[in-house]
Amino acid sequence: MNGYGGNILRVNLSTGKITKTPTPVELARDYIGGRGFGAYFLFNEVPAGADPLGPENKLIVSSGPLAGLMIPGAGKCDFTCKSPLTGGYASASVGGLLTAEIKYAGLDSIILEGASAKPVYLVIDDDHIQLRDASALWGKGSITVEKILKDELGEEFQIACIGPAGENGVPYAHINHDYGRQAGRGGVGTVMGAKKLKAFAIRGTRAIPVADLDAYRQAGMALYKACKDSEGLGPWQNLGTTMVVSWCDEIGALPTRNFAAGSFAEGKTLYGPVIREQIVITDKGCFGCPSPCGKYSRMKRYGTRVEGPEYETIGMVGSNLGIADAQDVAQINFLCDEWGVDTISAGSTIAWAMECYEKGILTPADTDGLELKFGNVPAVFTLIEKIAKREGNLGALLAEGTKRAAQKIGKGSEQFAIQVKGMEQSAYATHNATAMLLAYMTADVGAHHNRAWAITYDLQVGRELVGADKVARVIWLQHVRPMFDTLGACRLQWVELNIDLEMYIPALEAITGVKRSWQDLELVSERIWNLTRLYWAREHKDFGRAWDMPSPRFYTEPPKTGTTAGQITKLEDVERMLDMYYAQRGWDANGLPKPETLERLGLANLVA
Amino acid sequence: MRLYADSARCSGCRACLVACSLNLFQENNPKKAALTILPHFPAPGVYEVKVCTQCGECAAVCPTNAIKQNARGAYYVEFAECTLCEACVPACPENVMFVRAGLADVAWKCDLCGDCIAVCGTNVLRLGEIAAA
Amino acid sequence: MTAQIKLLGILKSYVGNQSQIEVNAGNTVREAMRALNIPSELVALVLVNNTPQTKEYCLQAGDVVMLMAVVGGG
Ligand code: SF4
Ligand code: SF4
Repeated sequence: MNGYGGNILRVNLSTGKITKTPTPVELARDYIGGRGFGAYFLFNEVPAGADPLGPENKLIVSSGPLAGLMIPGAGKCDFTCKSPLTGGYASASVGGLLTAEIKYAGLDSIILEGASAKPVYLVIDDDHIQLRDASALWGKGSITVEKILKDELGEEFQIACIGPAGENGVPYAHINHDYGRQAGRGGVGTVMGAKKLKAFAIRGTRAIPVADLDAYRQAGMALYKACKDSEGLGPWQNLGTTMVVSWCDEIGALPTRNFAAGSFAEGKTLYGPVIREQIVITDKGCFGCPSPCGKYSRMKRYGTRVEGPEYETIGMVGSNLGIADAQDVAQINFLCDEWGVDTISAGSTIAWAMECYEKGILTPADTDGLELKFGNVPAVFTLIEKIAKREGNLGALLAEGTKRAAQKIGKGSEQFAIQVKGMEQSAYATHNATAMLLAYMTADVGAHHNRAWAITYDLQVGRELVGADKVARVIWLQHVRPMFDTLGACRLQWVELNIDLEMYIPALEAITGVKRSWQDLELVSERIWNLTRLYWAREHKDFGRAWDMPSPRFYTEPPKTGTTAGQITKLEDVERMLDMYYAQRGWDANGLPKPETLERLGLANLVA
Repeated sequence: MRLYADSARCSGCRACLVACSLNLFQENNPKKAALTILPHFPAPGVYEVKVCTQCGECAAVCPTNAIKQNARGAYYVEFAECTLCEACVPACPENVMFVRAGLADVAWKCDLCGDCIAVCGTNVLRLGEIAAA
Repeated sequence: MTAQIKLLGILKSYVGNQSQIEVNAGNTVREAMRALNIPSELVALVLVNNTPQTKEYCLQAGDVVMLMAVVGGG
């Protein structure tokens, strides 16, 4: 099939059985690839009520039709499974070189099923596919393991692996690839660990077929030219996502001390240009990317190196923990990478614990003696290891994530567990940014920013304004942005380099031979969005409106300091936005898709 | 003319490799490219770009004289005359001569088409006159 | 005694879709933006002669200033 690897690989870790079947044409037609394939396989193959850490759950790794081709940033890989963090839908994206290699090996999705009795790793070398003993790798950090496997197998192999946190069932464990890129969110690494799969390595040497070679080379070259001509290219290459730190600080969106505020008075030393000057040594891009946002850094004080820190990490383990030094933040980033936890969830959980400590809800008796104050860098170093090992009372508590930890501790700490659906909110403070708040409330994995990002839009039209246009904007973003994760390419050339969305259309047609407009693509996105909503409803009997509510902090506790001091979103506006959102999506008042909506999207047959 | 690479600017994206394979073989397959990207991670954390310097060592050792110069002055492999003996592979000081039987039954090398330069976003690559040694 | 201000992306829409404007030197970037009715909070990055500066930077004659908004986030 043009534009595709052509096969779905299934590896059953329980039995060792390995099967390959052609990628169904209808699947490519209705779900395109990437997270579309993931959502389809999850919904149809993982039985209702499956234990996320049991053999019935599946980890679905998918590439997309643009991946591995001469298209800017064609390096996005999707990991989908039932989330051990939220009990709902998890889909995490990773860049780097993995997704391209999957296609060169003649594959579109790798479905990891069952669970092994002992630690294994999977080696895919074109058609030679083998499970090998990983007992020597078990317990090792994810960066360390990647290096061991590269040395053993060769540089051409691309590696995905987990750290100790994934082995130990920490529900926000990540999957690491290319020395510091991660499929971070929702516990995809935890599911890999539960299957006792320490790593997989893949090399492919095949060519990816395309429908119209000349038209594709032309469209691809045109996209590269547009990127290279973009005036935004220089600054973006220079700073990557750290570009927004100073700006978020200025507008009150930089999470500070567990989202108590949106500006960090001590934060100037975390601004992009400072990070660049102090620690960045190399720019690091995903497959085919002309605008590398990845920054590889060296922390002289610690004798370590890390990819990053990028904005989310700076926000979540920097300002949100009251830490203002670039090397400290980068070192926390490194420890999270090596031990195998998502920096966003880890940062949020530790920030919650710090607030508990400062309020006396957690005492030195609960923290094994750690002085859990904001800004205590050594305590954070210690905690990351404790969390990954589930060590001591505190390690075990924080290894649950904010929602469950707050339920256990109670005493009002649920109020400042900054999460939606059980997933910790990423690094945009939303006290007074209603579109962004709605984006977090309704994102299909929990409070993650990558589905819709609307802070600038909030500023353009008015931060506290609540209206149908704003809601429509969020929905549009929720369709267009994840479409890039479906196609297997990066969206940042579109959003940051101002590349016209229409330029992707001829490329996609030349590659796949199928003509699709953005309207067609948005419809596919809407289908995927509704399918994941059905999945949540299937897995949680009480799923509905209450699951879309944000942390109460954003409608009850105005920040005391910073740009947004005294500002807050009204609860009635939160409710009004949800009403409008449901109405525009064709969902009922409880947030569940109406039959006619499912009918329109070709999903009606999925609900009994 | 030859290709020059400033490795310090490379971000390891491999767009150049795909562009190269499309030019040499009309295929999307970075394993069949005349450049090599060598990542050195996790430490020291840099990329190394290996390109053909058009030094001609390969042509000098080829027993069938299959490696010739094109109008741009680039050495290229006349596929019809290549016997896959692999004599050129160890002769290349940059390790960018390949014979990968199983991938393609030919040797391949840079023919100075310039497509890699067109896609490289960080301006690692450029064509220039061969500097007098 | 003027400086050039270049606008990227959505910022152009505030100045009738111009992409480059001449302003007087001597004011800060923030003052220049106010005079042009460009909402300062939309500007994520100020580059003066390719070097990042704050909005309090005082414009010198001959400076080339680039103003960028961020529309996509991470
Ligand atoms: S912009 Fe960043 S995330 Fe996107 S492809 Fe380039 S390096 Fe990867
Ligand atoms: S295109 Fe440029 S940045 Fe990318 S791998 Fe090639 S030389 Fe390096």
